[in-house]
Amino acid sequence: MANRIVVRDVEAGYGGVRVLHGVSMHVEDGETVVLLGTNGNGKSTLMKCIMGIVQPDAGEIFLEVDGRRFDLAGRRPEEIVQLGVTLVPEGRRLLPRLTVRENLLLGAYRAEARRDIARNLEFCLEAFPVLAERQKQLAGSMSGGEQQMLAIARALMSTPRILLVDEPSVGLAPILVSRVIAKIRELKEKRDLTVLMAEQNFNQAVKIADRGYVIVHGRIEFEGESTQKLAEHELVRKYYLGL
Amino acid sequence: MFSLDLFLNALVAGVLLGGFYAAVSLGISIAFGLLDVVNIGHPIFVILGSYAAFVLNDAYGLDPLLSGVLFAPVFFLIGVVVYQVYYLSFERKGESPLRGLVFFFGLLFIIEVALLLKFGVDYRLIEAPYIGRSIHIGEVGIAFRLLVPCVVGLLMTLAITQFLSRTFYGRAIKGVAQDSLALRLMGIDPVRIKTIAFGLGIATASVAGALLIMISPVEPSIGRAYIGRVFAIAVLGGLGSIGGTLTAALILGIAESLTATFSGPSWSLAVSFGILLLVLAVRPAGLFGR
Repeated sequence: MANRIVVRDVEAGYGGVRVLHGVSMHVEDGETVVLLGTNGNGKSTLMKCIMGIVQPDAGEIFLEVDGRRFDLAGRRPEEIVQLGVTLVPEGRRLLPRLTVRENLLLGAYRAEARRDIARNLEFCLEAFPVLAERQKQLAGSMSGGEQQMLAIARALMSTPRILLVDEPSVGLAPILVSRVIAKIRELKEKRDLTVLMAEQNFNQAVKIADRGYVIVHGRIEFEGESTQKLAEHELVRKYYLGL
Repeated sequence: MFSLDLFLNALVAGVLLGGFYAAVSLGISIAFGLLDVVNIGHPIFVILGSYAAFVLNDAYGLDPLLSGVLFAPVFFLIGVVVYQVYYLSFERKGESPLRGLVFFFGLLFIIEVALLLKFGVDYRLIEAPYIGRSIHIGEVGIAFRLLVPCVVGLLMTLAITQFLSRTFYGRAIKGVAQDSLALRLMGIDPVRIKTIAFGLGIATASVAGALLIMISPVEPSIGRAYIGRVFAIAVLGGLGSIGGTLTAALILGIAESLTATFSGPSWSLAVSFGILLLVLAVRPAGLFGR
């Protein structure tokens, strides 16, 4: 099954403030693509546009599943999830007063994911032993790192064709960031995921990325065909590596 | 003048009453506790359920429980319509819940007046073979007209609890007030979920109404006496906890029954408001609250 997502000339913003100025990018089947940018450059807005939380003012966003094209612009977030695009949102957005298990099961609400629920649950509990131990604990009572793991596991419960991850490192201690990133890499290998990750922590992001984009003030300033090329680019060296 | 027999009888009657109160409060627990919709009008839907049971019993001699179940889908649809109106006129516009309160209070009076015009102010009651009967265990008498509502109330509470924890809809209902965007990001339409949940809450009123008219004769305005009770129970139980609702209903039932037996029935209404004030002062989160 070949899935890809394409963003073409997207303009978007909030009220009168334009955040994205003609952004184009694409994620191909089986790739892990990183969207690099510091705060306020439009990473999250682009993620929100893909998910239908923010509607683009111009341009197109579409998902291709085995050559069939689904336009995402104009659809509501719940419809986009039903098509197989799942976001691990910034700030995780768990349901704090539901248990870990209830959060996971809700992740499988998507019609196509329901038949996989037993297999997915087993996979998630095996991949995240900490969640297996705490199935009955309230999600809100867990530490930040554990919550991030739960947010990722919950997204996997939906059997996503494309997984979007918005800033998994925010609010986590460096050691936990490493663990979360390592976990995403492990999952990607085990499940053949197609991933688009927004991140500002370059050193962590390149550990798992196949290639990436650098977004500055709402424009894609550089497209790196490989992590090597990204690391060599002057923008990255200046802003993310401090060289 | 205290006597053990009197105390035991009052205690048992209180427990039975509590099971019935749980049935009456379920709808509030769902709407207020899980959806953040302050449906102060819930008791009038219970009264509506009583009249539905009365009409079918009067015309065809139908068992009230049966009409309670038969009317549940109709009540569900009424709930769906009421929630849609509430959603479109208030919630979607981000109006404060206080305006919603006025909406539901208005609804309560409109339905009450409609019932008054149709049925008048006379007390209505129903007949069923088991209503006059009772069993005795030692000195303690258990009246069927209290036992049946209690058992049905407990079963209904159990059914709702199971529905909430074991189904996709149920889990979504439990989560919908916590973070509706999070739900949408899992492919769930929160408005649809809230509509279903509210409909379910109103559907419980159909059964609760049938139970009410079994316990005592009904006239349109007695719903008001239940406003204090159901909110006291929802708050004491802790918002969002159906198990807490049952516990709180039993506590209120026992407290009312003991008060009515030893201090006189006119005090029993004050009990619910007393408990409500006490809980809000001492433990606003309720027994099992969030």
